[in-house]
Amino acid sequence: MNPKIIVVDFVTSVKGWYRSRGTLFWSLAFPIMLILIFGAIFSGVGETKYTLPVQDLDDSTWSHTFVDMLSNISVLKVEEVSADKNITAYIKEEDFMGALVIPDGFGETINKSFVDKNVSFNVSFYYDPSESSVSVLQSVITSSFQEFNMRLSGGHHIIGVNQVSTIGKKFNYIDFFVPGMIGFTLMQTCIYGSIERNTKYRKDGILRKLLTTPVTRSEWILAKMLFMLFLSFVSTTVIAIVGILAWGLTINVNPVMIIIIIANSFLFSGLGMIIGRFVKEEETADMAAGAISFPMMFLAGTFFPLQQMPAFLQSFAQVLPLYYVNEGLRNAMIYLDFDKAILNMIVVIVFAVVFFVIGVLLTKWRED
Amino acid sequence: MVEKTVSCPSCHEISTFYGEPGEVKKVTCPRCGTLGKVTFAGPISTDGVAIEVSHLKKVYGNLIAVNDISFSIKKGEVFAFLGPNGAGKTTTVEIIESIREPTAGTVKIFGKDISTSFNEVKEEISILPQEFHSFERLTVRETLDYFSKLYKKRANIDEIIETMDLTSHKNMLYRNLSGGLKQRVGVAMALVNDPEIIFLDEPTTGLDPKARREVWEVIAGLRNKGKTVFLTTHYMEEAEYLADHIAIIHKGKIIAEGSLDELINKYGEGSILHIKNCSTENAIEMIKERGFDAYREGNGDIAVRIEYKERVLEVLSILRHDCVDYDSIDIRRSNLEEVFLRLTGSRLAEDET
Repeated sequence: MNPKIIVVDFVTSVKGWYRSRGTLFWSLAFPIMLILIFGAIFSGVGETKYTLPVQDLDDSTWSHTFVDMLSNISVLKVEEVSADKNITAYIKEEDFMGALVIPDGFGETINKSFVDKNVSFNVSFYYDPSESSVSVLQSVITSSFQEFNMRLSGGHHIIGVNQVSTIGKKFNYIDFFVPGMIGFTLMQTCIYGSIERNTKYRKDGILRKLLTTPVTRSEWILAKMLFMLFLSFVSTTVIAIVGILAWGLTINVNPVMIIIIIANSFLFSGLGMIIGRFVKEEETADMAAGAISFPMMFLAGTFFPLQQMPAFLQSFAQVLPLYYVNEGLRNAMIYLDFDKAILNMIVVIVFAVVFFVIGVLLTKWRED
Repeated sequence: MVEKTVSCPSCHEISTFYGEPGEVKKVTCPRCGTLGKVTFAGPISTDGVAIEVSHLKKVYGNLIAVNDISFSIKKGEVFAFLGPNGAGKTTTVEIIESIREPTAGTVKIFGKDISTSFNEVKEEISILPQEFHSFERLTVRETLDYFSKLYKKRANIDEIIETMDLTSHKNMLYRNLSGGLKQRVGVAMALVNDPEIIFLDEPTTGLDPKARREVWEVIAGLRNKGKTVFLTTHYMEEAEYLADHIAIIHKGKIIAEGSLDELINKYGEGSILHIKNCSTENAIEMIKERGFDAYREGNGDIAVRIEYKERVLEVLSILRHDCVDYDSIDIRRSNLEEVFLRLTGSRLAEDET
């Protein structure tokens, strides 16, 4: 192994990259554009009708009156949830944006309020902040309580809403989207970069030329992987900075996130090598890469949470490596759920080892 | 006495000069008067074999791409491996370059069997693959630097750039170069490790005549530096112009091998004297009566086969003595095209289709 050769090849790759407008666009400008566009689209637009599960633990005349009032709001479809259900689990299982829980004591507090105007009581609104339209539901519920308070006491604050995120902290869609965008961009960069080296370089005779020079295949692959890692970290940094500046994202940089990015580079470079081995024409290989990466982009929870997809697609997503990259990055960078992040990271590492080893074994410089 | 045909570096006039084997002679271009030196091919060095190929065979399924071929190339030779597309040229050269595995046979470079010792000869060889395109977004200088740094033995890049006449293009991106310049860069890349053997696979395919001529001059320069050049080509004139040693491959087998003179003497038809616009009706009969093989060509000219150059005067004497009326005459020597035609029954161009 000659480190000088590795450095020379790495520097050459970087030069070629920054001189290529197309590559710069796809690895940096395109993801930035998507973040800005998707962030803008999903910041304020919602559905026309929202299902609101309501768990009435009070079961009093007042709570019934309040639920009836909610039912009469045109944009809401109220669905009653039995008292024995765990509401957080229920939201996740049934794929709801949020649910309202009316605790025991609701009716009693209202009755007291006719005597003592200083009493107050909170109902709880459990919600999934990563849902893009949850803010609409929140404002509908807040307005409903304001109207209810108005009717009861002429505006005095008796009933309030205690908002409870189902994932512990208030997140919005862009928090969900940016890690997905990083995962997707790195996947594209590594797959297409790897395919270019294994098809275009073969067609152009570069691999044949290299075979007759003292550079070894392992030195060359190592140099290319260093370059892929460089690209991955540059893309991640740029996307994260745009997320922070444009959407006020809070990103946590930690070893789990870095390991996932490294493993991701090996994983998709390996996948690119495998595609490049079996589909030798550059254009066809690009199409094959598109046929694999584009469905994966949609099915692996890059743009939309898996919960919005039919159950069979959700099961399918669980075999896609990008799903674990996206989830791992979200859990490590944003949600700080390290138990899940480490689990995702392990799955990504296993995928990376399998794909990269197969890719290296299949990559040949020699012709048949 | 040996002959050497060279192109004038100033006006590109092609002239043939004669000298003793190994002689370096001062010559003057008959057209523009430019002075220069010509080195006549010396007696082929017997002190070393650069490449030795023995009973090489390559089979793909039912197709025998290379069929038991053997040849050897001496140090300092320009060896032209000539044949139509699909004859097995590139397969053979890529086996010698260790890019492909042979089905059978051995290849030795400087006496080392490449199946076991290829790494030991990598510093001494360099290749320009067929249809080669380098890194598009590196400049000429950066490209040469990159490939140079892969070797321990390095030539001076500035000298290579100057020799290849790339000085004014050294800061241009490879992608912006013309086809001829790209090929020149390809050859320059093959020199960065100052190799002893340079493999050039179809270096002029797809180039216009001017660019082709430029690449020929570069290859001729390599020979003058004593390098061994393995040139694969399907252009007869390229082999005629450049090669010291030619092997013709057809359908996977070598059908003829030797110097240009040897091939033409052995397989050619001598020289043909063409009599243009001859209006004397019985001219052919008159020439035939004197023992010459004469016939009318498709364009109406009369062709007379000349086995020895001294007999040209005899034909001219017949024409003058019998008052044969004609516009002009010219003499053409047999060429590789005719050798190929005679050996295979088809023209090289026909075989490519």
